[in-house]
Amino acid sequence: MKRQIPVVLVGLFGLFMIFQYFVPHESSEWIYEFLLDWTIIIGIFAMALGLWSLYRVSVEKIRTRKPAWGYNYLTLVGLFTMMLFGFTSQNGEAWGWFFPFMVAANLTLVMIIQASVTKGHRGLFLGTAGVCLAVCIVIIIFDDTWGFHFETAEGLQSTMFRAFFDNILIPIFATMFSLLAFFIASAAYRAFRARNVMATLLLLAALIVMLRFNPYFGPLSPYMSKASNWLMNVPNLAAQRAIIIGVGLGIVATALKVILGIERGYMGKG
Amino acid sequence: MKKSTLIVMAVVVVLFLLSWVLKASALQPEQGSYILRGFLVTFAAFLTLAVMSFLYQDNPFYKFAEHLFVGVSAAFWMCMGFWTTIVQNLIPRLSTSLADYFMVPQRPEGLNLFFYTPVILGILLLMRLSPRGGWISRWPLAFIVGTTAGLNFIRYLRSDFIKQISSTFVPLLGTQWEGIGPFLSNLDLSASGQLVLLLSNWVVFLGVFTGLIYFFFSKEHKGAFGVGSRVGIWILMITFGASFGYTVMGRISLLVGRITFLFGTWLELI
Amino acid sequence: MKLKLFVVSLVVLLSFSIAFAQEDTLTVPPIPPDSALLPAAVTGLVAKDTDNDHGHAITLKWQPSADDGAGRQSVAMYEVFRWVPDLMTRIPALRDTLEYLKLRTGDGWSPPEPGSRTDSIHNVFASLDDAQLEERKESLEQTISQAIRDLPAAHAAYPEDGDWQQVAVAPAGSATAADVGTKEKDTPDYLPDYSDFYYRVDAVTADPAIRTASEIVGPVQSYGQWFNKGRLAVSVFVLIFGLLTIFFVQHARRGADLYVRPMAGIEAVDDAIGRATEMGRPILYVLGLGTADMIATIASFTILGRVARRVAEYQTKLIVPAYEPVVMAVAQEVVKTAYYDAGRPDDYDEDIVFFVTSLQFAYVAAVNGLMLRELPATNVYMGKFFAESLLLAETGAVAGSIQIAGTDEIAQIPFFIVACDYTLIGEELYAASAYLGREPILLGSLKAQDWAKAGVIALAVAGLALSNLAVAYDWSWASSIVDFFRVVD
Repeated sequence: MKRQIPVVLVGLFGLFMIFQYFVPHESSEWIYEFLLDWTIIIGIFAMALGLWSLYRVSVEKIRTRKPAWGYNYLTLVGLFTMMLFGFTSQNGEAWGWFFPFMVAANLTLVMIIQASVTKGHRGLFLGTAGVCLAVCIVIIIFDDTWGFHFETAEGLQSTMFRAFFDNILIPIFATMFSLLAFFIASAAYRAFRARNVMATLLLLAALIVMLRFNPYFGPLSPYMSKASNWLMNVPNLAAQRAIIIGVGLGIVATALKVILGIERGYMGKG
Repeated sequence: MKKSTLIVMAVVVVLFLLSWVLKASALQPEQGSYILRGFLVTFAAFLTLAVMSFLYQDNPFYKFAEHLFVGVSAAFWMCMGFWTTIVQNLIPRLSTSLADYFMVPQRPEGLNLFFYTPVILGILLLMRLSPRGGWISRWPLAFIVGTTAGLNFIRYLRSDFIKQISSTFVPLLGTQWEGIGPFLSNLDLSASGQLVLLLSNWVVFLGVFTGLIYFFFSKEHKGAFGVGSRVGIWILMITFGASFGYTVMGRISLLVGRITFLFGTWLELI
Repeated sequence: MKLKLFVVSLVVLLSFSIAFAQEDTLTVPPIPPDSALLPAAVTGLVAKDTDNDHGHAITLKWQPSADDGAGRQSVAMYEVFRWVPDLMTRIPALRDTLEYLKLRTGDGWSPPEPGSRTDSIHNVFASLDDAQLEERKESLEQTISQAIRDLPAAHAAYPEDGDWQQVAVAPAGSATAADVGTKEKDTPDYLPDYSDFYYRVDAVTADPAIRTASEIVGPVQSYGQWFNKGRLAVSVFVLIFGLLTIFFVQHARRGADLYVRPMAGIEAVDDAIGRATEMGRPILYVLGLGTADMIATIASFTILGRVARRVAEYQTKLIVPAYEPVVMAVAQEVVKTAYYDAGRPDDYDEDIVFFVTSLQFAYVAAVNGLMLRELPATNVYMGKFFAESLLLAETGAVAGSIQIAGTDEIAQIPFFIVACDYTLIGEELYAASAYLGREPILLGSLKAQDWAKAGVIALAVAGLALSNLAVAYDWSWASSIVDFFRVVD
């Protein structure tokens, strides 16, 4: 039973999705849209699973003193702070007790983490967490320069949420992305050292395309750019098509195996 | 901790503070929280450099940026998810009063039992967290996998497979014979001379043909079949090289963007 | 260090050699024909429900006016008119009022600007209190939904209480147009099914006042179909492919010996697990950035299952960082079952598969960190990868791990080829699970895939020959066969 029902569900919904493609009628469309919405809504619940996993794995690393364990506090504090920013916003220009509140809230979190990783002083940490939490609550009650906003997406526009987005997420994101320039160069160097037909072909084609705008080849330059265009338009097109047809078949075959219950690897049973 | 590490740390802290003070004082004439903004720009520059330091080796600064990035990005993702999926998709269908509270337009057609099904499935998914009810969380997963397997089955059969076959139907024999002169004219890779076009069409056709032969799994790649397969993988490799070369430029422009931030926005040198 | 310096200087040099060029194009509108005389009307107007759709649309066909491209050449365009009952025309205004009432009774309402459209509605309701407004709102909601229900009846009352409205425009020279509505009842474009519509088409000259109307056609009703004939080609393929798969799977079940060509990348998986065991280092399995609804990810789950089982048998450590929570949940299920099947349920730990974050480069940053700190003996990348592929694979290569990759994302395959020891290209990713399992059933479906490929080659050759011959000898039947493959979206 435990294993049969999921397989039946997969087959049922899979077959429906195939049939609906051929049925333009409104009722088929209607169920189709419902099912797509369902997958989104189930995904929402999965978010909770994800956050819980992140929290637990981080705490576990702290508890077992894994390499670089100390930084996991930073992960959790960053997570908690950004979440609080996302649900709060200023009522005016003044900040009031907002930052002390953030400190107290994060201290609460750290104390709770400490309580779950400690061997002997559980009560002490929980007590401190309680005190910090009390401070938070007092600030929430008496400070009206800022407030929590769950009902509208105001938090996403709040100063600190945007500041974190612009000054932490964007710089790291863009820098990670830009590291690719270095990595691509070292990868090319690696390919350069591999001496076989495949690597040579790959590198030659790469060089021709890479140097297509380069003016330093004198009279050869126009030929480089023409050759690179030809490479991109002709053999590239052919290979892409072969891969796409193959991948398409692979996808179709895998999907069919999944729907027919032949392939159950995704449920842990091969 | 080694002495050299401590010295590096100290230098970084001093530089950070210096940049903060200078940046804040440069911003001072403008109104607003210049101390905060000075800090944020400095912090963004620090994070940029911290990530770049990964090119040298793993180090505490990279670990700092990495762990902060993970936490903040997870929170960002959760906050965005809260409003785009929970508030926009789920709430309007669940109850009128909730929809009123979150000020989202409710969907009168959607307010029915159909929408409680995904919620129940979502709750089943959360059963993973309990050690004994875990097996039931396979149901929602089966639903997602089944629905999307059916969807992808059709999508790829259509777009990747049938469409690609039909677009392989290109003229190989030439359209109109205008004499040997025009046929051999424009012997240039980028030209649209008849011969060049025909040759290109043949390359595309043979490329697809041999590429597909390479992807044959159940036949030994020997003899003529082996030759076809080898030509196939060569054409694939040329394509991969071309695509590799094509990406290089794009990646370098990303690096240019980051350098502009460091030397422009932060140091104001360019 | 020299390599790094070389690389850095190369990159900086290259970054200065970028050039951009842009071109603007101008389009000149055609000069409309000049005539002051009435054009000839269109003839033979036919209105029919649009085929192969969900309803809510009517297709019109006609013979172009005698003055369109011939005669006086005075027709500039055709305007399609539908008779619309007054009831339908009133609904948008009712909706505006309802929208106003909703805002008014909600939070944060402020009076509209004087003179605006909303202001004129506001003047009507200005003196009402909250309870009255609420009452009006509810009755208005009912009125609107009743009006929508009454639309077919109102159409049946033609020609009472209604007027002609322009619903589509077609340029001169055209002989067909479609009046496409939506099925969404709460939008102004809603077109009710099973209602009697009446149409006429005007031939319009450059001067919009000078026009000639056609005869009126109707009644015609729109409705949805139960089979899309434009997708016949796809359904044929579905059937053939499904039958092929079932046939070969049955064939394999009966014990036929199926040959499968060796694939280096897959054979390397076993060795790599052995190597990790010897070295006492973990195996890192990256499922990519795909969501659980992508088949590449599903294929990756299957491979993960095989790898996890082997890992459990060898008692090596496995690390699976996940990018998406649903993927994490499925992967946990896969790994758990693999450990149970290997007979080592006690070694299973819920944290083998864990969630990192759902932001592309944050995920990469974390996985890169893992590679340098946990020093896995083997990194396996299977699934959907995007720009991060090279960041991961290069870091792994620098850390000295054996790397095996597989993806169907064409743009990322080159990076994996360059930075990894073994790469599964495109379809090989989907074949890998069958390989690793060596189960006859899965190998059978591989055989079906090969037959389908042979079919593709045969079809492509035949189609190619046909399309070439069709051009050369002007065979219309050949081009109709070729057209069969042109799928309607």
